[in-house]
Amino acid sequence: MQSKGIEILLVEDNANDAELTLRALKQRNLANQVHVCRDGAEAMDFFSAGASPVPKVVLLDLKLPKVDGLEVLRRLKGDARTKAIPIVVLTSSREEPDIERAYELGANSYIVKPVDFEAFARAVSDVGLYWLLLNHPPQ
Amino acid sequence: MNWSIERKLPLFVTILLVAVAIAQLTIGYGEVRQASRALVDKRLPLATHVLADLFQIPTQRARITALAKDPAIVAFLHSRDPADRARALAAMQRITNDTSSTGSLELRDFGGKLLLRTGKFAVADSVLVSPRSDSATYGPFMRQDTTLFIAVTMAVGAGPAERSGGIVQQVGRVGLNARTPKALTGLAGGDIVLLVGNAAGDPWTDFATIVPAPPRNVLTSPTPVRYEHGGEMRRAAAAAVPGTPWMVVAEMPSRLIAVPARDYLRSMAPIAVLIVIAGALLAWWGSRRLTKPLVHVTRAAEAITAGDLEQRVSVQRDDELGRLGRSFNLMAEQVSRSHHDLEAKVAQRTQALEGTNAELESFSYSVSHDLRAPLRAIHGFARILLEDHQTKLDPEAQRLLGVIDQNTRRMGQLIDDLLSFSRLGRKELASARVDMTEMARVVADELRRAEPERNGQLEVRIDPLRPAQGDRALLRQVLSNLLQNAMKFTRAQPHAQIEVGSRPDGTETVYYVKDNGAGFDARYVDKLFGVFQRLHSTEEFEGTGVGLAIVKRIVQRHGGRVWAEGKLNEGATFYFSLPDGEN
Repeated sequence: MQSKGIEILLVEDNANDAELTLRALKQRNLANQVHVCRDGAEAMDFFSAGASPVPKVVLLDLKLPKVDGLEVLRRLKGDARTKAIPIVVLTSSREEPDIERAYELGANSYIVKPVDFEAFARAVSDVGLYWLLLNHPPQ
Repeated sequence: MNWSIERKLPLFVTILLVAVAIAQLTIGYGEVRQASRALVDKRLPLATHVLADLFQIPTQRARITALAKDPAIVAFLHSRDPADRARALAAMQRITNDTSSTGSLELRDFGGKLLLRTGKFAVADSVLVSPRSDSATYGPFMRQDTTLFIAVTMAVGAGPAERSGGIVQQVGRVGLNARTPKALTGLAGGDIVLLVGNAAGDPWTDFATIVPAPPRNVLTSPTPVRYEHGGEMRRAAAAAVPGTPWMVVAEMPSRLIAVPARDYLRSMAPIAVLIVIAGALLAWWGSRRLTKPLVHVTRAAEAITAGDLEQRVSVQRDDELGRLGRSFNLMAEQVSRSHHDLEAKVAQRTQALEGTNAELESFSYSVSHDLRAPLRAIHGFARILLEDHQTKLDPEAQRLLGVIDQNTRRMGQLIDDLLSFSRLGRKELASARVDMTEMARVVADELRRAEPERNGQLEVRIDPLRPAQGDRALLRQVLSNLLQNAMKFTRAQPHAQIEVGSRPDGTETVYYVKDNGAGFDARYVDKLFGVFQRLHSTEEFEGTGVGLAIVKRIVQRHGGRVWAEGKLNEGATFYFSLPDGEN
């Protein structure tokens, strides 16, 4: 698997969204240590691989093939080894039940992807900056 | 106190029976009393006959008449001759011996001088008042010590003027003894006491002793009279004895008149009481029989009302109550059946609705998620093209990318508005008391801060508003949408005026937001509140046309109405009403 330097794990099935996200992060020079998983199962595999490095933040879409985002969230937050990893839900859904459920499961943040690209880019890069540079995780 | 029919009916019947019994006893008592009273009056004529018999009036009178016409008597009075005297005495002695009478016979001259006398006893000289020559005359009762006498007399010859005439008279003692009154009472019947005496006054007798004469009014009254005698009230009637100066009085103690009436009461009252008791019991039984089915029907109806639709009454009668019971059961059957039908239908519809709702839910989720992703891609990659490859694009290509950019933004806004509109229908309403004045001020300030450049040209007046009862967040959205609209459509005004107010209207409160902006053509007023309906072009005023539709939906979910008034270029007023809360 990927070795050192993974700072952001992006779980996103939509290739376009993934590309736009990466572009937004790149503008802030945050794209270098990004790993992209295309579905929930892949994300779970990333963590079950054992000694893999712990990302500083997970950007998680909710509507995912195989294992959906809320399930990934539940498993990560239910596992002692991964529950301290900040998880930011980054999704198109602004449905109240999704928001409530995500926070119940321990999401650290919930961001609705704006349609407007500028707004989207701003949101993604702000999230990246915040969690990578401002936030101080436990050692 | 519960005055049920079960109690009222027996009570009513009992009262009725008691009334009838009282009336019967009263009338009966009166009639019996009347009958007893009539006894005295009816026995009176009889008593006079009894007396006439007792004193043998016709016999005595005939005897005296015969004596007065006896030739020996006439001859002696004429001659006063000793030989004639002996014959006259013999004639008189013949009569006194013949009769068992205790009386004596006397022969006197008109001067009253006694000439001859026969018989067992004599009284002091008694003078008869004007004896007549044509018939024997009875005189009044006379008294000597404890003895009563009566005399019957007749003139012999033409009269006092004729010197040769005289008077024959018989003087008899009235036999008084204790047995006589009883015998008389027995003859007269009942408890009637007979008294006889002179019409003019004393002496009077009850045939046992000499008694005081009854009062004058008793003797003169043609009808029975009540008077007090011997310490008790009596009812007395008087009648003259024909051919004599006597009167007879029949009297009876008043209390004895009441006795039969009392006896009547004594015997009838228990019977009446028995009848009343029996009637009351019967009425009680009857009313229970009558009300029991009613009580059952009432209980069953109450049970059905409380929700036990299987409740029925048992019917064992063929009368009206039986019919009531059967009709009730039929009705309950139908109610139960339609209730079940209805429940089944409701369940069916609910299921269908739930299905539809779930479909809508997943539909809006899909719209929310799947529609926005491609849109974001279109927008994002168009921007990337513009940013990364600007130098290779001629101005027309750049303009076209700009159009794509604009439309994807607009499409995004439409999707967002549509979603928030559809969410409104599903959201639960919270209910609280809302200070509308405060809320309107906060919203207006926020909106005004968003357009600082209009500070000098925008006047927002907020009157004190009546508080509302409803969902705070949703009502805020109503005020926000309306104020936002007002500010948007007054943008062209050099001096924009917006006014927020309220007024009570029956059981609801009407709020309004008024502006002096672009207004609208009143012909299209019914399109104002439709989804995606716009009366102005996007170039003129931005917006998706969902704002007023959201206002309408929120107000309607609160039980209120929305409407608008306006004229093109002369401003508009938007109204919404909310029902007043409990307080």
